[in-house]
Amino acid sequence: MRYGNYLVPAAIVLTLGSLACTPPKTAEQIKAETQAAFNEGSQAFKDGKALASNPYLNDKENPHKAKGWTDGWNAAAADKAAADKAAADKVAADKAAADKAALDAKLAAEEAARKAAEAEKAAAFRKAAAAALVTVHFDYDKAEIKEKDRTILQGVADFMKAFPAAKVEIEGHCDERGTNEYNLALGNKRAAAAMAYLKTLGVDEARFTTISYGKEKPLCTEAKEACWSQNRRGEFKLK
Amino acid sequence: MQRFLIWTLFCMLGTTGLWAQQTEVVLSASSSAKLVLGMTAPKLLAAPKAAPLDEASVATEFTAVLKHDLDESGVFAMLQERLPADSAPAKAWKEAGAQWLLSTKLTKSASGDLRLEATALDTAAEKGAFSKTFDANEIVPLRYLAHTLADEMVKQLTGEKGVASSRIVFVRQLSPGVKEVFQVDRDGAGLVQLTRHGSLTLSPSVAADGRLVYVTYKGGAPEIWGQRKQNGPDEKFYPTTGAGGMVTSPVWSPDGKRLAFVQGDRRGNTDIMILDLGSGRARRLTDGTCINTEPSWNPNGTQIAFTSDREGAPQVFLMQDDGSNLRRLTGEGLYNASPSWSPNGAMVAYVSRFEGKFDLFVYKLGEGKAYQITTGVSTSESPAWSPDERRLVFTSNRFGTSQLFTTDLSGRQIVRLAEFAGCQSPRWIRGR
Repeated sequence: MRYGNYLVPAAIVLTLGSLACTPPKTAEQIKAETQAAFNEGSQAFKDGKALASNPYLNDKENPHKAKGWTDGWNAAAADKAAADKAAADKVAADKAAADKAALDAKLAAEEAARKAAEAEKAAAFRKAAAAALVTVHFDYDKAEIKEKDRTILQGVADFMKAFPAAKVEIEGHCDERGTNEYNLALGNKRAAAAMAYLKTLGVDEARFTTISYGKEKPLCTEAKEACWSQNRRGEFKLK
Repeated sequence: MQRFLIWTLFCMLGTTGLWAQQTEVVLSASSSAKLVLGMTAPKLLAAPKAAPLDEASVATEFTAVLKHDLDESGVFAMLQERLPADSAPAKAWKEAGAQWLLSTKLTKSASGDLRLEATALDTAAEKGAFSKTFDANEIVPLRYLAHTLADEMVKQLTGEKGVASSRIVFVRQLSPGVKEVFQVDRDGAGLVQLTRHGSLTLSPSVAADGRLVYVTYKGGAPEIWGQRKQNGPDEKFYPTTGAGGMVTSPVWSPDGKRLAFVQGDRRGNTDIMILDLGSGRARRLTDGTCINTEPSWNPNGTQIAFTSDREGAPQVFLMQDDGSNLRRLTGEGLYNASPSWSPNGAMVAYVSRFEGKFDLFVYKLGEGKAYQITTGVSTSESPAWSPDERRLVFTSNRFGTSQLFTTDLSGRQIVRLAEFAGCQSPRWIRGR
């Protein structure tokens, strides 16, 4: 009983003291501590420390710190992985783009070369056609090929052989002297005569069509021989 | 026309009477063979509430047209000078030279319709020679009333209707490479464009019922287009499928059921063909060894006249419509072509070349002889008969460009039909 008098106050002091020394942590504190641990973990990852080096693993009082630290470490690890992947992807994409650009350039170059070749070929075709498809002429009311026009027709035949895909329409025309209808028949005869001659030069007649315009499409409309002789003609037109 | 108007004006100013005008001053050429006709001015009446007829338009659209029609009929000659007053007795007209005296009365009803009453008096016998009444809807132009009256007067005198109301169908160039089919009244008025293909369109032919056929290059190669039905749309007749090579010169048979036409092959030959519109089948009549073209039917559709170079140069031949009984018609000349069988079947008009120019000829089958119609320094082409067989329409370059003309069979009365340039292939058809 001698100390009994002190027991109660002591107990009170101890109780209050213990209460004062270990106050319960607020949610705010826990959040702050967790964040601090998170940052530490993150830094630890960046410093090259292992996940197992978590200093709070044994702090049973504050499991949130351990978790915060682990989360920080993991987040940093994930960030790095993502960054690494993005970098790798970028490298891959850059490479693919470069490859595609190179391919495109190659194809474009090939296309341009092909087009140039085609244009050259077309130009050569047009030039050859313009040089070869020369108008022939006929005597009045006649459909016979004139001696002097044979070289022209040889040129037409050579052209047709050099360009096997070429197709030509032969137009027969007449001068104004004679009836409209008879001249349509005569124009047909002239176109046919030119085609028959080309056939003898070895060109397949299936590559020709014939058409007669009679005296309906004169080149020259004056009533004189200089004009009429121009109108009595056979023209070759690419189809 | 100008002189007529001036005269009209002068007389209207100079007289108090409304209708004292007289026209022109010369008697028609070769009037001796024709009946000389005097004519008083039309009397104009109007129903109480009807708007009166316009005097000036009656003068130009009726009186002048009627006088022109009768003068060109070939059977009347208008009395043109020393004309008695309108009110003068028949005896005065007789003394002035008129064998008939024509009086007309135009009445306008309240609804706007017109009635034309025409009477002709034989001045020698002093009795009626002609009397006819015509009723016309208000939309009928006055000039068509005049044409109708002229045609009936010719019928009274000759037994056959005149051709004042007839028309010419022809081809006209609109721009280089573009030709279209047109129609114009026989007096050069009323031009109508019949086709609008924007390409070469050639060789028109008109059936008795008015159906048109022609060749057009609208698709590149020539095709035959025409009307299957009266007033129907133009449609492709031939080639029925694909390309048919060269086709030209479609001509209706007189019954309008068949078409003679020309088809060229790739050997340079052209043949006369007949297309049966009913079955769509085409048949070749000539033998494919030369040029055969320009078919022309005889009036009953049993024979065809055509041009062929089978003996070297173009000549006119005749054959049956099955190709048999072939015989050469033209004798002289190195280039005879463009035959046109007359409506009554007794004559064939054609062209013949002489010294580089073409002239019209008429071959009379009964006589076995050809008569030259035109002579001159210019070329005359494409003769086609008037429905009454009294005249030919043709093209001539006598004034430079190719224009439409008509001539009587003597070749003395050549009249320019119209001043259209670049004309070809005229056909003369009855008005409907």
